[in-house]
Amino acid sequence: MHESAFHQLEEVVQDPLFPEVDLALRAGRHIDRDDGERYAFVLDAQSLLETFYRRYGCELVHASDGFFYLLPVGDQMGRRHLTAGEMLVGQTLALVYLEPTTVQAGGITQQSVVVARLASLVGERELIQALNPRRRKYDERIAQETVRMEIAKALRGLESVGFIDLDEGEQVRLRLGLLRFAEAVRGLSDPAEALSRLIAEGKAVAEAAGDENEGGEEAGA
Amino acid sequence: MEPVERDNSLHVIASIHRDGVGLDLKPVDLCFLVALHTRAGQSNLTCFEEEVLLDVFEQVCDAVDSDGENLRKRATHAIQRLREQRLLSRVDGDGLLRAGDYSMTRLASGIVEFFMADQVLTRESLSLLTKALLVSLAQVKSQAKGAQTPEEWRLNVVGPLRVTVGDLVAGIERRQRGLDAQQEQVRKQIGELLEADWFSAVDRCQHLLDDTTTTLAELNSVLLHDTHQILAVLSDIEQAASQARMTEAEEATQRVSEQVDRVAAWGRTRQLAWSTYYQYVHRYLRDVVRLDPSRALSERLRNQLAGWTKQPFYWVIAQASKIRVLRENAIREQRPPVVRPAQDREVPLEHVPSDAEATTLEELVRAALASGRTTLADVLDVVLPQIDAAKRFAAVGRIAAQVAVEAAARSDRDRPWVQVPGEVEVEDWMLPGGRAHA
Repeated sequence: MHESAFHQLEEVVQDPLFPEVDLALRAGRHIDRDDGERYAFVLDAQSLLETFYRRYGCELVHASDGFFYLLPVGDQMGRRHLTAGEMLVGQTLALVYLEPTTVQAGGITQQSVVVARLASLVGERELIQALNPRRRKYDERIAQETVRMEIAKALRGLESVGFIDLDEGEQVRLRLGLLRFAEAVRGLSDPAEALSRLIAEGKAVAEAAGDENEGGEEAGA
Repeated sequence: MEPVERDNSLHVIASIHRDGVGLDLKPVDLCFLVALHTRAGQSNLTCFEEEVLLDVFEQVCDAVDSDGENLRKRATHAIQRLREQRLLSRVDGDGLLRAGDYSMTRLASGIVEFFMADQVLTRESLSLLTKALLVSLAQVKSQAKGAQTPEEWRLNVVGPLRVTVGDLVAGIERRQRGLDAQQEQVRKQIGELLEADWFSAVDRCQHLLDDTTTTLAELNSVLLHDTHQILAVLSDIEQAASQARMTEAEEATQRVSEQVDRVAAWGRTRQLAWSTYYQYVHRYLRDVVRLDPSRALSERLRNQLAGWTKQPFYWVIAQASKIRVLRENAIREQRPPVVRPAQDREVPLEHVPSDAEATTLEELVRAALASGRTTLADVLDVVLPQIDAAKRFAAVGRIAAQVAVEAAARSDRDRPWVQVPGEVEVEDWMLPGGRAHA
């Protein structure tokens, strides 16, 4: 175990990287190894930052895959859950991340690939219903267009919290944080039990609060 | 590009388009050409008799084509196709007299070399090429120092720079492209190995990664060291050309320098790109493959996604409200409603200083009345001469008004008009003795 460069919280707060890392974590961003010095900073200051954020009712989670994120467990800090679109697209991207064909492209995939995979795995009808929850009757063309728009919106949302990077054109650079979408199916335990445990730990919610597609706010100071 | 070269290329482009030149080669044609090239090398042949062509074609068909019927006919067609596309040419000139001799054209040799030559940059080939380049440049530099006439510059400096040195640098660039293709192949191979063997492929993938990484690091090291020397010599040659005012030599040197810069930049960018890829794959092998040897995670995740719409769940993330930064007060300009300009309908009273003249006039009238004047005309006769002539007309009215109030004036039915000072006539009033004022 390496020795931390920080001995007191004051040193952490005085570090030039602290403001941007703190703001990023509070905004729900996942900081992974690709973030370079920001990741190294959190890793170095991990024990001090854990104590620091605990006072705000938050847990600084360090996933074994190599990324950090802030999980609000109390009511002091605001929180939200991902939207249905973000959840569906995130799981698809995690699946693409795990595939050997993505290795050839160096962890880069195309938006069109994501849409195709999502439609083939979930089913077009289910996908339309999941992303158009209020509409019972729909025009197929309009519904498909809405799905495409929701997927694009979800990709932007996932980028804002550090799961992916969107490059020029339709390229999507997959990041380590995506492996969070596989957290419920890690290990050999029953996925339903694992999910219940995650919900109990406050890492996930089973019901969408407010508008499903808008990513409901759970609580907030 | 030099103007002359550009003109030539335009000419070639135009002629290709005009003549409708194109290449249409089937795999068996390419195999045939490769086999011919090999036979020529093995047997030291400069051309092929027709029988040799047929024999080689049959061997190719035996090796790659299970359908062994009509070989002679197919060989005839293949030879005809290659001749039409300028890949084989008849060289004997005997026409109908006997069966011909054929040779491969430069185009055919180029195609075969593309498929056969292993022109990938290695540490050995790069070192060899850069050393040869340095030797050539040293000679050019020496010639440049001794060159006196433009002809000597052209023959001993410009020519070697364009041909020998240019070819050597182009050779490095060609091999770089070969290495690029090899890297692409390695990436593909890693993907295929993982797809096929997953966990068992980890060591082989690691080996492939390490090999390419070592090669690139070595190449970059050679490039860094040698390109520095090459550019220094080129700079000396350019300086000599500049002093001798040999523009052509200067331009040729600059062109080679640009090529060398490009070669060096290639090394840097490829090493950086490979480093990023290496880290990604290394992490993938460690975090994904090694931790999931049976690929169960992908399967379970696929099931989770497929059933998500029936049993949805959502990850929770932090979303702290943003810190408010107070802004400076800014007075917002409001557009006034469109209205008619306000008007003050009550005209303000005008301040007029007290009229001293009026007071004086009143006193004069009272004095006249007190002195016992009996008619208005008498009063006017006394008062008006004491007033400025220009104001007499107006004063007549005031005097009459005061007299009417203070002296209880009366008038007969027939009121006589009397001339008073100031060329004014007034209707005269009678003033009785009793006066109204004190």
